[in-house]
Amino acid sequence: MLIAPNAAVAQLRENISDLEGAPRRFARTVSVCNFVDDVLPCGGLPLGCIHELRGNPASVTAFAGLLSARIPGQGAIFYIEPSRTFYPLGLLPFGVDLQRWIHIRARRPKDLLWIVLEVLRCPQVNAVLAALPSADLTFSRRLQLAAESSGATGFLFGNLASAITRWQISPIRNFGWSLELLYCRGGRPGAWNVAGHNGQLELARPTQRELTGALSKTA
Amino acid sequence: MSRRLLCLYFPDLPDSAQIKQRLIHWCNRYSPLVGDDGFGGIVLDITGCSHLFGGEEALLNDLQTRIRRAGHRVRGAIADGLGAAWALAHYSKQVIVTGSELPQALNPLPVEALRLPEEVTRALRRVGLSTIGAFQKVSRQAIVTRFSAATLLRLDQAFGQVEETITPYRQPAPYSARQSLPEPIATADAVEYVLRELLKDLCVRLEKEHMGARHLILDCYRVDGTVAACEIGTSKPVRSVKRLMRLFSERLDSIDAGFGIETLILSVFNLERFDPAQFMLPELDPNSKQNPEALDELVDRLGMRLGFQHVTRIQICESFLPEHAVAFQPVTTPQIQSATWPEYRLRPVHWIDPPTRIEVSTIHPGGAPVRFRLGQRLHRIVKSEGPERLAPEWWRAQQPLHWKARDYYRIEDESGCRFWIFKELQIIESSVSRWYLRGQLA
Repeated sequence: MLIAPNAAVAQLRENISDLEGAPRRFARTVSVCNFVDDVLPCGGLPLGCIHELRGNPASVTAFAGLLSARIPGQGAIFYIEPSRTFYPLGLLPFGVDLQRWIHIRARRPKDLLWIVLEVLRCPQVNAVLAALPSADLTFSRRLQLAAESSGATGFLFGNLASAITRWQISPIRNFGWSLELLYCRGGRPGAWNVAGHNGQLELARPTQRELTGALSKTA
Repeated sequence: MSRRLLCLYFPDLPDSAQIKQRLIHWCNRYSPLVGDDGFGGIVLDITGCSHLFGGEEALLNDLQTRIRRAGHRVRGAIADGLGAAWALAHYSKQVIVTGSELPQALNPLPVEALRLPEEVTRALRRVGLSTIGAFQKVSRQAIVTRFSAATLLRLDQAFGQVEETITPYRQPAPYSARQSLPEPIATADAVEYVLRELLKDLCVRLEKEHMGARHLILDCYRVDGTVAACEIGTSKPVRSVKRLMRLFSERLDSIDAGFGIETLILSVFNLERFDPAQFMLPELDPNSKQNPEALDELVDRLGMRLGFQHVTRIQICESFLPEHAVAFQPVTTPQIQSATWPEYRLRPVHWIDPPTRIEVSTIHPGGAPVRFRLGQRLHRIVKSEGPERLAPEWWRAQQPLHWKARDYYRIEDESGCRFWIFKELQIIESSVSRWYLRGQLA
């Protein structure tokens, strides 16, 4: 049977991406900003999966808030933490609509893990931001499966072995962040200095330096 | 038709509020309106309830047998009105009296049966009025002048001329469903089955009347005369059996069946109007596979586990004070439109509560901060913005603990970390000002 060359190439590409483990199932993505999207395998941050964020608590929350505000749809956004340290007014400059947010306080670590899992399973949830104690491989795999089944995206602050991407965010001078993509399944790690303007991220200084694969801390 | 009241007299009930409360709760299985009679007994309004138990006599017998089996001595009487029922329960052999027989039944009773203070009964006996019948012959005018209007009132109450209200220990549930079982049940599966049947009945009625339940209580009456209760609340009116069942199933484990449960009563204590929504045509709705109530269900389950005070919506309030500007409202309360926040007032994302005391150096007293020490680390301040002076709101009834104006600064240290700090203004300007770390900016 004769296959048109383009179709054959597409077929081969697909096979390769399957072998690479690039998650084809993460077809829905959200744009971080153009220069970061170039590095990410699907042309944006995949939705319906777990992302691990590390670093300064304020910057991490703001970064996750900014991304969750861009997710299309009117689903709820959950913030789950063991004690109240979240101050929502700080997120307003990042284009966040607080009417859709639900804040949950769970003192006991056991409750916290259960809640994150339950919330990730709900199809009417857009995003879950949670300060998690470190979860073992089995549990973080369960979180990942829950997110895949419902399409909710988890931005979790803690050690998660099976996260699709892992970010380190720290503040830099002049109201900017240093954004470091430590690990990305099917993509390359990288580091950027960015500044936020009206809910958009821009390159702060042209100092983009891409880390080699050897430097990445893969799980 | 006058109300039929059943009064219970316990000759030797220990003086314990707990036992009394348990008995009152248990009596609820006979009538939705049960209360304390104010004289150490219990009163039930059994108007329209007795036929469920095969008549008044059968009801009274059933109730007394069960209480006696639980180890309490009891005497009950039924009459039109609390005064008459109380008198009969305490002093008469005749326990069920209907309207026309009442004077005949009350007249031979001693005046003590009128629930009068002791000094009044003693005075009545001194003048030779030892029975109700004799007392009733005295003219009304004379009773008021010789004794008091309250004495006359008691007499009228006994004969049902003045209606007496009873205070139910809990509001009668607007909707309830009950199931009496021929054999007591003890397994969780059986309780679940009965509950599902009760919920079906209830939800059919709720649907017919366009109502939804917000607060439900399941009372399980055990054979030994005790009651186990199980309670659920919801964030929005609900009338789906499946959803209510799921909420109950998380609580059913806490029910201890004891020697077996013989009656279950499911009551709705809080209702709200809930108009039926038209179902989406599956072809037109792209998300038809999704359960449209998934989020509500999730929130209810979380609220049941954590308490609804911990499952909250975020509301911006009309206040500049950081403590008052944000309210975490339980999801069960109706959503109110948030105020708009002026975005030039940048606020932290990470909140530090209570604020941490820090050592700050300034160029000159009252000037902008240049350095601060947090723990062991010294932060050199590269940029600072401020002061933003926020004074307490005197019009608020409830003040926060502090009652001083504060000067807030946004600062950035040499590593780029951004903080929100404040200086507490002293009423008398002293040389030492106190600085605190309130939060971290993104």
